Amino acid sequence: MKKFLSLLLLAVVALFAVACSGEGGSEESAEGESADSGEGSGGEESAESWEPSEPIEIVAPAGAGGGYDTTARMAMQTFSEEGIIEEDMGVTNKVGGGGAVGWSYIADQAGSNHHLFVTSPPFLLVPLNGQSEYNYEDFTPIANMIADYPAFAVAEDAEWNDLNELFEDMKEDPASVTVVGTSSPGSMDHIAFAYVAKAAGVDITQIKYVSAQDGEGVTQILNGSADVFSTGIAETAEQARAGNMRVLGVTSEERLEGETLGQFPTVKEQGIDAELVNWRGFFGPPDMDQAAVDYYVEKFEELSNSEGFADVRAQFGWNEMYMAPEEYQEYLDAQNEEFQSILDELGLGQSE
Amino acid sequence: MGSIEGIMTGFQTAFSLEGIMFVMIGVLVGTFIGMLPGLGPISAIAVMIPITFGMDPSTGLIMMAGVYYGAVFGGSTSSILLNAPGISGTVATSFDGYPMAQQGKAGKALAIAAIASFTGGTVSVVLLMIMAPALASVAISFGPPAYFGLMLLGLTAIASLSEGSTTKALISAVVGFMAVTIGIDPQTGTQRFTFGNANLFEGIDFLVIALGLFAIAEVGKLIIARHDDSLSDKRNVGSLKITKEELKDMRGPMSRQSFVGFFLGVLPGAGATIASFIGYIMEKKIAKKPEEFGKGSVKGLTAPETANNAATSGAFVPLLSLGIPGSGTTAVLLGAFLVLGVQPGPLLMVERPEIFWGIIASMYLGNIVLLVLNLPLIPYISKILNIPRPLLIALVIMFSMIGVYAISFSTFDLYMLVLFGVLGFLMRLFAFPAPPFILAFILGGMLEQSFRQSLSISNGNFMIFLESPISLTLIILSVLSFIFPLLKLRKKKA
Amino acid sequence: MLRTMNRKISLILLALAAFYLVMTYNLPAYTYTEIDADMVPKGLGWLLVFLSIVLFFIKDSETEEQRERRNIPKKEIITLLAVTGMILLYIFLLEILGFVAVTALFVFFCSWFLGYKKFITNAIVSIVFPVVLYMLFTQFLRIELPQGILPF
Repeated sequence: MKKFLSLLLLAVVALFAVACSGEGGSEESAEGESADSGEGSGGEESAESWEPSEPIEIVAPAGAGGGYDTTARMAMQTFSEEGIIEEDMGVTNKVGGGGAVGWSYIADQAGSNHHLFVTSPPFLLVPLNGQSEYNYEDFTPIANMIADYPAFAVAEDAEWNDLNELFEDMKEDPASVTVVGTSSPGSMDHIAFAYVAKAAGVDITQIKYVSAQDGEGVTQILNGSADVFSTGIAETAEQARAGNMRVLGVTSEERLEGETLGQFPTVKEQGIDAELVNWRGFFGPPDMDQAAVDYYVEKFEELSNSEGFADVRAQFGWNEMYMAPEEYQEYLDAQNEEFQSILDELGLGQSE
Repeated sequence: MGSIEGIMTGFQTAFSLEGIMFVMIGVLVGTFIGMLPGLGPISAIAVMIPITFGMDPSTGLIMMAGVYYGAVFGGSTSSILLNAPGISGTVATSFDGYPMAQQGKAGKALAIAAIASFTGGTVSVVLLMIMAPALASVAISFGPPAYFGLMLLGLTAIASLSEGSTTKALISAVVGFMAVTIGIDPQTGTQRFTFGNANLFEGIDFLVIALGLFAIAEVGKLIIARHDDSLSDKRNVGSLKITKEELKDMRGPMSRQSFVGFFLGVLPGAGATIASFIGYIMEKKIAKKPEEFGKGSVKGLTAPETANNAATSGAFVPLLSLGIPGSGTTAVLLGAFLVLGVQPGPLLMVERPEIFWGIIASMYLGNIVLLVLNLPLIPYISKILNIPRPLLIALVIMFSMIGVYAISFSTFDLYMLVLFGVLGFLMRLFAFPAPPFILAFILGGMLEQSFRQSLSISNGNFMIFLESPISLTLIILSVLSFIFPLLKLRKKKA
Repeated sequence: MLRTMNRKISLILLALAAFYLVMTYNLPAYTYTEIDADMVPKGLGWLLVFLSIVLFFIKDSETEEQRERRNIPKKEIITLLAVTGMILLYIFLLEILGFVAVTALFVFFCSWFLGYKKFITNAIVSIVFPVVLYMLFTQFLRIELPQGILPF
């Protein structure tokens, strides 16, 4: 019996912790809000449309804390805080294969109207690298939500003042420049750089690319081990502001807004015709009902326009980039083709 | 604002009523989550992020810092009691912590861990405070060749982690290294040994190996021994009493490893795991009775626990002063900063001194809270070992299962867990030590990557390893550290 | 007998090394790097070959205690296999029946099988524990576990 008591005690400790977190958390208020607005929106909906009848599962095809996961959790939270979707939602992480494990899980849910998942360019790149048996054409596009942009930075004391100087040197001796990024070759950071370098006329098969995890990229630039950092804007902004790094180019169409970000030259204004977006959006499983797709499209549009999500975007430094399914699909078709041609040139493309 | 003024502001923030309350909540929740199967600091911070949404940034971050070191400490509990290390930083803790608990001294082991953590944590916070700005340059001084040297030095520990045959220890390490080569190679994107199975693309998770080789393999042993009660004195399981003798034993490792752990923690990517292993090995090498290590030695438990907590504070140096997340955990923590509208980076200390120093000040507080909250709980927690063997066995299996499932959500990983459990059990039977396997698994990946990054940068010239003074020093140390024990062995035999 | 034990293991390890090396030599080449993905694995494979050969020839240094560990009564081997079987069944059913149901059944039957005779305590523990954990993970930590057949 004594042993049982000790078990019980553990359970009590557990409950205590739960109680504590309730105090510090925002759960209560969130629930209250959604209940209020629930009454209002319920009456306005037309009777014809599809409504979720069980909890919605949003799959983040990566572990906790990454870009996929953050997007999924923030969308979920804003959905319920703003009272846009009242049905329970949960984020599940399907880790592995740069997303492939998650996509194959979603493919198994074909026909389900209660599953969604987060996507970004690796959703095109990983299948093109031959590392997933499913690609974007197997799934149902719903909406793109946000945009982030690749950026290329060098150490403050680097010899290059702009991208053209860098690419001139690379045209002469590609092996003299080391490019570092977080992703493996053939995925985002590598392809983003290759994409721009190709537009500038560099022989991209000669690019020396090193992959470094866990924030080592910044370290390698700061201590001079590597020359060019191919990454996202967020990773470079603070270093640039502090005068440790210089951003040679961002791949957005126009200069970004913001005191620091506004100083970053675009690739385009330097005469290199290349634009690239690190987009993030949501897809559903194969064969989702049209009525359900319509439902989600409307909800995501509402989310994108909500104040709550504007705050989220501001908090993470994301840009708004809403696209409805048709537009999204066309956009991806075009981008997929471009990626494929680059990967083929690099000899990395493996899908037919 | 001068830094003295900044420090004062920081202490005011942290030691306000609100600050103290949130540190306590953070530490408590962190410790608790850290004790749960499979959930280390990464998950603890990730699940707490939505809760901080809308909080005042300094309070939110102070709480997050509490969650962080609470979770690091909580992780050692399962290492000590169940031989089930939940995070890589506490693997070395189980080497001596678990045997000690098996000898009926679970309470003592947990108390030693708590005191060692407290010391390592506190000393390193002082170091952090004095040197954080100056250490920023140390944090970035390690290029790929230097990392290669550091990993090599860590690997030389294999010889000293063996019980008996060095050949068997080396074989164990080579197979462990092989296990980490499974997956998509980061440098080339080539799939290695995946058999086209998407579950293997990102390699085998550390937790699968650790729980398999340690916890599940131990379950096998417990099943065979389920009828005889090896715990000689059940009543004293929860006793916290540490003798003067033992305190004296702890002093050396604590004072040394607080510093070593801190400096290793400062290096991005190295962190708590390597600190704990290097701490363990270093203490074993200089100990008067190295043969006690691995059998419940006080020093063997103190060293890694001090080092991994010291490294935890050290990891804040690159994060706070440069905005570089040196590990998966600090990367998630960086995310938590962003949610609260704080951009960690070189300018944080200048622009938001109250946050920069507030976090550091909260660490003092957190360490005290950690000790005060946890010591009284130890007698109850350690009573877990009094659960009847058959039930305990079933619960440990469940604990390991849920731990693995909670990180990968795939039954494939559970089957892998069983596979490594069986392997670990067989390794025991045939006297192949498991620690070299896991050490090579942890360090091997980074060793290979830094090796190839270096050669990529130098266009294939091996001289790059000897040109940088840091890597040269580390490589020489590694060679000495590897050859020395072998020479000693020769002498003994002759 | 013992000398042959080392030799048996050595042969198994050689087979493992050979298998690993064959796969290594079949890795596709990646042209844009100084050191390709196969270099380190090749080194590891050959190192294992070397170490297995060393193991084949060295004198066994096992202590009596280490040898004793291998003396497992046949009955216990069957128990071990049975528990392994239960674990495999647990994994197989986890996503079908759900976490709470399978875990409760597993904890109950596994500890019963291993000789825990207090049915009532066992039943309470094996129901309360999974339920508490399930609630903690799904409600407090927001980490989804398989729901399975149960309605919550």
